[in-house]
Amino acid sequence: MVPHFGLPEFGFLLRGLQWTVLLTLVAFAGGCTAGLAIALLRTCGHKRVEWITRIYIGIFQGTPLLLQLFVVYYGLALTGLKLDAFVAVAIGFTVNASAFLGEIWRGAIQAVPRGQTEAAMALGLHYSSRMRDIVMPQAIRISLPATIGYLVQLIKGTSLAAIVGFIELARAGQIVSNQTFQPLLVFGVVGAMYFVLCWPLSWWGSRMEARLALANQR
Amino acid sequence: MQDHILIEMMGVQKWYGGYQALRNVDLTVRKGEKIVLCGPSGSGKSTLIRCINRLEAIQQGSIVVNGHRLDDSIKAIDVVRQDVGMVFQSFNLFPHMTVLQNCTLAPIRARRISKTEAEATARKYLERVRIGDQAEKYPAQLSGGQQQRVAIARALCMQPKVMLFDEPTSALDPEMVKEVLDTMIGLANDGMTMICVTHEMGFARQVADRVIFMAEGQIIEEGAPDAFFRNPQHARTRQFLGEILAHH
Repeated sequence: MVPHFGLPEFGFLLRGLQWTVLLTLVAFAGGCTAGLAIALLRTCGHKRVEWITRIYIGIFQGTPLLLQLFVVYYGLALTGLKLDAFVAVAIGFTVNASAFLGEIWRGAIQAVPRGQTEAAMALGLHYSSRMRDIVMPQAIRISLPATIGYLVQLIKGTSLAAIVGFIELARAGQIVSNQTFQPLLVFGVVGAMYFVLCWPLSWWGSRMEARLALANQR
Repeated sequence: MQDHILIEMMGVQKWYGGYQALRNVDLTVRKGEKIVLCGPSGSGKSTLIRCINRLEAIQQGSIVVNGHRLDDSIKAIDVVRQDVGMVFQSFNLFPHMTVLQNCTLAPIRARRISKTEAEATARKYLERVRIGDQAEKYPAQLSGGQQQRVAIARALCMQPKVMLFDEPTSALDPEMVKEVLDTMIGLANDGMTMICVTHEMGFARQVADRVIFMAEGQIIEEGAPDAFFRNPQHARTRQFLGEILAHH
């Protein structure tokens, strides 16, 4: 007998939603940390270091995320390192996010006027203080719309994790749909859940952008 | 005792790729001296002062500031930057910090003095540039002239031995030029050693001990303002003075 879409099925979707949120948070936190390092190395002024980070960014932006997830999940398994599906996709998304966020912040760091760094140097401030006190606070503001935009992409992109058997929201929806034969209803609910997650962020992002544009006009 | 020499540049050469920006520049600045650097755009005057606090590296020659020879070591650069304050054409205030924070950041971070002490010093200098009541505002809330006076106070908070001014009034609306020049004149009267890149010849006449004229990366001519303006020796200087004085 075919079950109808009811509370237990809705609960199953909610657990999928939980995993989507958790995966997004882990990947975003990891991606921010590693991405900050990438952005700083990418702008450090040492030609060779800049080149290496450029290649790193190039590789992870230039190949499909799907492929990267395969490599982490199946590739590392071949070397004898058997990872839990969540750990594997978390690593995959983190590395990928670090490349994208690194590139977004590289652009933002370079968008801070050169005079700011010069004034800081003339005042005798060292690199760490110049970055922490002067450049990064301004770069983060500049990059906020793009960073939020990337976060929205990341939330939706986590559905790719289903490919290695990780049950997040989209995969949960597929399972429930197969059980209930009510794809329209099930994916309608799934879509609504993604929307509730993403839309406020998008709205916040475009508001930040408008505010930045206004600040730049002055 | 001989007059204390604060800055000594000898045989300084600087290239940007194939373009030579400074050609064999010698310059000695004594404590308390006020020097005005002038010359057509691209003559290397800004580059010259930017070499003194190592915002630009030189390829040949030597620069000694307050007894410390400037080389590529971070330590030497550090020591020199502690002694040299700079004011820029475009102010370069930190827009995300209040006026007070702009003035206290470097003393706290680079001189490692307490916040209380840094704020007391900052308020003193902000008073001195007559902007004490704006300490809690952000740079964008101030006029250009006020911003440049904050920039002067910010540099003074590091208690430099010499102040470099890189066209400090060029980005200002005409009615704000005077307030900044008055601040600089006050500073000069207090005995500060200053090198000013500027086209304000009235200021040069009033304040400068020496006026230096540069063209094509070289020092062409220098002298006391009286002699410099009344009787310039080189044709190139006469042409330049003719051009800029025609506007005044």
